[in-house]
Amino acid sequence: MKPRTNRAGKWAVLIAGGLALLLATARPSAAQSPPPPAPWKNIPVRATLGNGIPWIYQKDAISPTTVVGLFIGGGKSAVPAGLDGLAAISTRILLEIPDEGKVQDLMAQATRLSYVCYEDYSAVIVECLTEHLDEALRVAAKIIQDPLLSGLRVGRAKDLMKAYAKMDDVDPVATGHNAILGALFGGRGYGSALYGTEATVAAIDRKDVSGFVKRAMIKPNVFFGLQTDLEAAAVRPLIEKAFDAIPDGTPAAVDRQDPALPENRDLAIDKDTKQTYVGRAHILPRAGLPDMAKGTLLETLLGNGPGSRLWALRADERLAYEVDAELTWTKSAGILIAFLKTDRTRGAEAAAALDRTLDGLRTGSVTEDELKASREMVRSGILRSTEPKAQRLRTIGLYQVLGLGPEGVAGLLAAVDAVGLEDLNAFLKEALDPARALRIKVGPPAGEIVKEEPHVRSVRR
Amino acid sequence: MPLSGAGPGRSFVLDNGLQVFLYEKHDLPLVHIVIGFNVGSKDESEATNGLVHLLEHCILFRGSTTRTGAQVTTDIRRHGAYFNGHTGQDLAVFEISLPSAEIEFALCNQRDILFNLALSQADIDAEKRVILEEYSQMEDDPERSATSLVLQGLFPGHPYGRSVMGRREVVEAATSRSLGDFYRKYVVADNGAMAVVGDFAASDIEVRIRDIFGALPKTGFEPEAVPMAPPLKKSSSQRLERDVREGYLYIAFTAPDYNSPDQYAMSLLVEALGRGVNPMLGGYLHSQRDSVQSVTMSYLPFRFGGAAVLSVRADPRDLPAVERAAEDFLKRAGNQNYSKKDVLGPEAEMAAFDYLEMAKNQIRFASAQAEESGLQLAGSLVRHMLLNARPDPGRYLDGIEKVDSSALRKAAGRYFGKGEYAAISIVPIKEKDR
Repeated sequence: MKPRTNRAGKWAVLIAGGLALLLATARPSAAQSPPPPAPWKNIPVRATLGNGIPWIYQKDAISPTTVVGLFIGGGKSAVPAGLDGLAAISTRILLEIPDEGKVQDLMAQATRLSYVCYEDYSAVIVECLTEHLDEALRVAAKIIQDPLLSGLRVGRAKDLMKAYAKMDDVDPVATGHNAILGALFGGRGYGSALYGTEATVAAIDRKDVSGFVKRAMIKPNVFFGLQTDLEAAAVRPLIEKAFDAIPDGTPAAVDRQDPALPENRDLAIDKDTKQTYVGRAHILPRAGLPDMAKGTLLETLLGNGPGSRLWALRADERLAYEVDAELTWTKSAGILIAFLKTDRTRGAEAAAALDRTLDGLRTGSVTEDELKASREMVRSGILRSTEPKAQRLRTIGLYQVLGLGPEGVAGLLAAVDAVGLEDLNAFLKEALDPARALRIKVGPPAGEIVKEEPHVRSVRR
Repeated sequence: MPLSGAGPGRSFVLDNGLQVFLYEKHDLPLVHIVIGFNVGSKDESEATNGLVHLLEHCILFRGSTTRTGAQVTTDIRRHGAYFNGHTGQDLAVFEISLPSAEIEFALCNQRDILFNLALSQADIDAEKRVILEEYSQMEDDPERSATSLVLQGLFPGHPYGRSVMGRREVVEAATSRSLGDFYRKYVVADNGAMAVVGDFAASDIEVRIRDIFGALPKTGFEPEAVPMAPPLKKSSSQRLERDVREGYLYIAFTAPDYNSPDQYAMSLLVEALGRGVNPMLGGYLHSQRDSVQSVTMSYLPFRFGGAAVLSVRADPRDLPAVERAAEDFLKRAGNQNYSKKDVLGPEAEMAAFDYLEMAKNQIRFASAQAEESGLQLAGSLVRHMLLNARPDPGRYLDGIEKVDSSALRKAAGRYFGKGEYAAISIVPIKEKDR
């Protein structure tokens, strides 16, 4: 499962208080039934640190490494209109190391600092050999809690965003994903450009970044995730000591953002490529785990490799090498995208075949065998994707952000097992309604398609 | 990456020659099986370049004598399996990963698709179209296509100078006979190795493997001689225009082969020069051109040669200057200080940064991370079984620990000092050419 493909909830009509409400709803009470067993041998445990910040700890002794994530509520959803890229810039700047000596300390120990920014959250991630954890946390916590927000550093982060946007631009799957979210959310919040546009990045100044960081980096809006070979008692004091300067505060309200089909339901992005990307997007409901389970099963029925419904476009119709489906959960809905990449001369044929496949799934029934196989694929896919510690940290963090808590993964698997055939078929009929599809094509414009080799210039030295 | 330690593993060889490594990993209820064969683009000629890749596709997706391709994929899905294959310069590998309760299915499935292949011309023709789409996809991806082209430029006249994916015309003309010849020769037990990693009891699984794979025949397979790749005699530089918004520069140098004693020094050298937070070459290129966005080096040790590949993303207008700067720096890499011990005096030692220590820590960290992913671990084990030609190579991390900065300088002088390299630049299409 891709990190960006799982999000959550219709009950969170107004997500006032960022993560605060979610953290409260995620806390199991004595009256609740016990959570279903986690798919891992060691269960992730949620508690509150002495500094008042929640943490989700999971022991894994498979390797002598530790991964620490500081999850910050908001992400793209908290970006004001016209300031696309602000969440990514503001998270990236938390990793700017002002002191050359500190850079060298981290370099020498091979400690890695990275960040991610998604629809509902961003996170700063520290990965290191466990023997270097104390030093890694000491250095990382200092810069994360007291970032140097100078104009020069903001300018550097803005330059990085421009470069990342250019990288995304050569990947048609990323281009399609960004365009679809942009169209469904009117270019705002979830639909804003992750790395910004030329205009919005230019409009962002030091005060915007400083304000965003101040609003986001407060105790009620953050939590830690930890994957380590250390015992909780050994690592907990390290985190508490290192992160003792995150201030209290009142989280800013973030309005619920619902997707809506735009007037133009045929998006086209021109690219001079050998292949054309053809995609179809559908909005899925997200009112709780049962909806997430059905959405996840739909994603698996369509994609995830050999034997899937889309696989026939490759194996039988020979239209593509890459076919797949991806599902992005936000707090308000799921966005499903089914796609394939086909020869530039076969875009129309591929689009018709994709429509046929989706309609076949909607109108023809899924069989009990197919449902059973999809359940197996979901379960093993989650296990595989959470095998490395860093990926597991991000997955558990995402489920926490979505309000499902550390037991969210187990809850989803239980909900997947509980989906019945009739219920799923009814869900598919509604979810895949072709009248509510958003169509996209990334490739050469129809009038300019000719067979030609890329431009090549050779120089012998 | 080679294994960092022996770990809870056991190895044995079946009477038919199939090498097996079992590695228990009980953190998750999963099992991962990788089976590899010593056949890759190195074993092709100009007339057959692309057949190994096509064969890999047919094995995976076109069925066996007992099941159609559709039946195989249905079975795969029913057991919750991830299923894939890869062709490289040296090896073709086939992997499956699924819940550990399904290990019996996985072993039987892999035996069936690998050793009972049914090659009909119709199935081959169907798979050709998929492969031609894969060619186009690779050509649209600047990083994949640059890597492929720069390696072809590094090994002119040598089998490694052929494209791994092969030539379109060879794939288009492939027949069940030409593919069958490759299959019968190379996909045999005595040319293969299998690694099983995951949540199982090795003693039980050894019995099952002997039952399932033991009856395969020993064919007396003898690999054909492949010459060692000679050092590049003359540099080459190629520039391609694509619909991209940044410039991509790839530069490849000859590097030590998989069994060379220099492999440890080269592994550390690429870490010190081009990996991690702020590597030496990265820092230098950033100082030369502001537009440099990323600098990465990788070391690809093959059985009969090796490559050190530098990749840079920057403003396309700056690529020629970046190429000159990289060439200049790497020519001098044999004279750099890599360790605090290289400088004289306590003050200088305090100020100097220890790139060698950083590189060793990065490799230790990467090795530890590799043990978290069962599929990656199984792939490394198979690669080692098939490529290692040393009687007792010892632990990889022990070899790394022994390297000092003098060895790094020697390796840098030997492989980068002469300054011969292959380069590929990918830049945006000029507006007037659109």
